[in-house]
Amino acid sequence: MTAIPMPVLRTSPWSKVKKYALPIIPFFLLIGVWVSVIAIADPAIGILPRPLKVLQVPFQEDEYWPNVTASLGRLFIGFLVAAVTGVLAGIVAGLSRKFADFIGPLVTAMNAISGIAWIPLAIAWFGIGRGMVVFIVWNGAFFLIFANTVLGVRMVPEVLDRSLQTLGASRLHILRNVTFPGALPHVMSGLRSGLGFGWRAVIAAELVGATSGLGQWIFIAQEFARADIIVAGALTIGVIGLIMDRGLLAPLERRTIERWGLVESSA
Amino acid sequence: MTAGNAEAASAASATLTVNGLSHWFIDPQSGSTVHALDDINLAIQPGEFITVVGPSGCGKTTLLKILAGFLKPLAGEARVHGSLITKPGRDRGVVFQELAILPWRTVRRNIGHGLEIQKVPKDVRAKKVAELTDLVGLRGFEDHYPHQLSGGMKQRVAVARTWASDPEIILMDEPFAAVDAMTRQTLQEELIRLTVETKKTVFFITHSVEEAVFLGDRVIALAARPGRVKASVQVPVPREGRTWETMTHDPSMAACVEEVLGLVRGEHEATLASESHANADAEQAQET
Ligand SMILES: Nc1ncnc2c1ncn2[C@@H]1O[C@H](COP(=O)(O)OP(=O)(O)O)[C@@H](O)[C@H]1O
Ligand SMILES: [Mg+2]
Repeated sequence: MTAIPMPVLRTSPWSKVKKYALPIIPFFLLIGVWVSVIAIADPAIGILPRPLKVLQVPFQEDEYWPNVTASLGRLFIGFLVAAVTGVLAGIVAGLSRKFADFIGPLVTAMNAISGIAWIPLAIAWFGIGRGMVVFIVWNGAFFLIFANTVLGVRMVPEVLDRSLQTLGASRLHILRNVTFPGALPHVMSGLRSGLGFGWRAVIAAELVGATSGLGQWIFIAQEFARADIIVAGALTIGVIGLIMDRGLLAPLERRTIERWGLVESSA
Repeated sequence: MTAGNAEAASAASATLTVNGLSHWFIDPQSGSTVHALDDINLAIQPGEFITVVGPSGCGKTTLLKILAGFLKPLAGEARVHGSLITKPGRDRGVVFQELAILPWRTVRRNIGHGLEIQKVPKDVRAKKVAELTDLVGLRGFEDHYPHQLSGGMKQRVAVARTWASDPEIILMDEPFAAVDAMTRQTLQEELIRLTVETKKTVFFITHSVEEAVFLGDRVIALAARPGRVKASVQVPVPREGRTWETMTHDPSMAACVEEVLGLVRGEHEATLASESHANADAEQAQET
């Protein structure tokens, strides 16, 4: 019997260019529309700022970087807590089909509530500042991570668990060698969307619930008709979200999962 | 000689015994009772290779699950060396019908998994894994992941993993059903060699009469609805050195196949010939 050779997909330099360069075009198109609108309609600076003015914000405004790091710091803490609690609780819940069914509807309901709905209550509990924002981030990410982890654990074929039992494996060994790696694809996608939702939650919470951070900065800028700061802040939020998703979590997800052949590589 | 008497006479020395075993399921949709196994009696001797053949749905997998310790029978009992089977154990290795090796472990780490669980020192483990990798013809693929292997190769990994942990008894549930016909014959010949060398007690399930006769010291024919032992047929040729080449030219083997086929065919016609053929076709279609 001969080996089935592994398909080696050679990526030509051109296909790399296509993969990374082509998606930049829509960004330029958007900037093109922006510039055209300014050229044609010439709106007041407080309505729509010029691109160059926006580009200068990170270099000219002293508050820019402190606000970026304040927001990222809150995201980091809230997400970390959500990841640890969500994955642990998800594994425990996923191990029992009965418990997963029992808790499932509540989690779906909690997921459906927009995180903003909790902001007034969170302010009452934690006051204005970091604790409140971290709580809102945790709330935005936890249920997603939890639900995905439960799903991942439930999707692991029972025969893998059983085959290790016949080899004399302990519960803990099966948990570490079957349950967790088997659930990992779903855990990773839960973490990925959890981080995305956590980031949105930071900004939303900071609008009214903090004295610093990108969300608060944008909110204040409106009072001074500083549209350049608002747009610069919004673009910063978008770029950070893009980098975290495509630069950090997507490659991590691909590296672990594609090697095992669990999902098809999505080009 | 009736099957029942033979089983009773040899029960004392047996490795695996099944007494008055019955099991049934409540069908979740219709609420009706599916009588899967009815009063099964078996005695499997040390080093014996038993094949169990019967139409699909006759309770073969249910019987294996009970022997493996995954399912508690509703009546009767199954014993290993006289002690009641209540849970899975390292003394009974299982090769499942479904693919049961871990996709996130390489061939080497899958084959050595049982030894790793037993905390066998690394160097001893490596030696044993290398030996078994050779034995099942997977040398050169040690660092491949399962998704890089064909269906037949994956099943070899599963077989090697079970053998590596050295259980006394091996339970196999249609392990080659999803493999193409050519590969299947090779795997069957390898299995003969492996079991003759290691003298393991094997309980091998199949729905193919040819496979049952080719592999077994003794063939148990099961009848369906409810599943019960119809007959136990001794295969007239010793297992040592059996190959498909010699088997097809041996008239006593051909006669044995005919005999078992006669027993099982009655079942097929009486119950669900079309269904089991449809299943066999589906399995052929899955060839990888
Ligand atoms: N968990 C279950 N619930 C309900 N019915 C089952 C269950 N497992 C098996 N059965 C039924 O019991 C019978 C025997 O099944 P099985 O042992 O899988 O047969 P085989 O392996 O010989 O094809 C079949 O009719 C099957 O539908
Ligand atoms: Mg079966």
